[in-house]
Amino acid sequence: MSNAILESEAAMADGTPRRGVEQLSMQQALNRALDEVLAGNPKTLIFGEDCGRLGGVFRITDGLQAKYGTGRVFDTPLAESGILGMSVGLAMAGFHPIPEVQFDGFAYPAINQIVCQIARMNYRSRGTMPMPITLRVPSFGGIRAPEHHGESLEALFAHVPGLKVVSPSNPHEAYHLLRYAATRPDPVIFMEPKSRYWQKGEVNFDSADPSGSRTGASPTGAKVMREGRHLTLVAWGAMVARCLQVAELAAEDGIDIEVLDLRWLKPIDEAALTASVRKTRRAVVVHEAPLTSGLGAEVAQLITQGCFDTLKAPVERITGFDVPYPSGDLEDEYIPNIDRILFGIQRVLEYRRG
Amino acid sequence: MAEISFPLPDLGEGLIEATVLEWLVSPGDQVERNQPLVEVETTKSAVELPSPQAGKVVRIHGGPGDKINVGEPLIVFEVPDNTAGIVGTVPKEEAPKRRVRLSAVLDED
Repeated sequence: MSNAILESEAAMADGTPRRGVEQLSMQQALNRALDEVLAGNPKTLIFGEDCGRLGGVFRITDGLQAKYGTGRVFDTPLAESGILGMSVGLAMAGFHPIPEVQFDGFAYPAINQIVCQIARMNYRSRGTMPMPITLRVPSFGGIRAPEHHGESLEALFAHVPGLKVVSPSNPHEAYHLLRYAATRPDPVIFMEPKSRYWQKGEVNFDSADPSGSRTGASPTGAKVMREGRHLTLVAWGAMVARCLQVAELAAEDGIDIEVLDLRWLKPIDEAALTASVRKTRRAVVVHEAPLTSGLGAEVAQLITQGCFDTLKAPVERITGFDVPYPSGDLEDEYIPNIDRILFGIQRVLEYRRG
Repeated sequence: MAEISFPLPDLGEGLIEATVLEWLVSPGDQVERNQPLVEVETTKSAVELPSPQAGKVVRIHGGPGDKINVGEPLIVFEVPDNTAGIVGTVPKEEAPKRRVRLSAVLDED
């Protein structure tokens, strides 16, 4: 075994940040990030349903209780209002809680704590009680789960003043965005795309990004995942991977598509959005959440505001439907699929003024 | 691969133990979720326990006639590392399929 590998394993054991590049699943990347956050800040606590002994139903907190003890990584009762209410008190007492709501739809019982306390305590206290809480929420659909296990709550959270909202699209983003979110003085809703948990990808641990390449680690703003000339697909979470597939297929037809991973859903990176669509002059927004009052409407308006004079067509939205998220195989009809996205692209390409 | 241990659950209200009558699976068997694993008898009734999950049986605890306390290991499964949690299934990564083709006259003005 080479010294480099020995050093890498030593780094793993004490939770210090890594260097270099590794192939990891999003689960492993998130686990690594949490490990390093726990090691780096003794005020960090992780808790939620099954987060401790079991290591989380998606294995995200696997091994962390054994390593950091039941005082820092622990199980809670099945009561989301309690999980988030306790987070408020811990944040007031100077801790940095990283609570987990086990599934998106389980956040509803804690809406009061999230909206009325976490989001506005800093405002209410004139800055004397910041809420440095990173709320992890396994989000969106795609795993054939029952009701309350496939919902997209980004528009709800983004609408609440005081909250920041972010969603990673791959293991690299997951690692860096979670590490960054856990250092913020503000509450961050961290929406993990559960259908991408098992997908492996390259994680570049080096935080510096001198080349400005898209594998870099800058954790703020949106990110161009593929450059193109004719149209911009705007997406976040699990839909980024699907949009990259669509871009590959569109290239077979001679259409050159840019894919913009929005990453931060509150605040939205208007400059990156506008820069991309000013170049391509056409845009389609893709999300899993229902159409009406979905975040796609906000994105479309920001594009219209920033690019009205150069847009060649109205911004198209390809989304879920205005129904409760369906269980089982029906989700294939609900989540935007490749053909629905291609149809949306075709409508935009065909549009002519007047 | 990971091992998951399934302890004997409380089969009634406040029962503290059960007696193994007959194992319906053996180490090495691949079992499906809800497949009957073992017949046990409590002070209330004899019941078949369904499997809480799919996986390969690694170990079983207790033979016919043996008493097992609630909360003690009953059976151990081996499951692949990339299995889903308690809820849902791991999505299959498939090559993208399409029916729609794009056609456009792109005026580069």
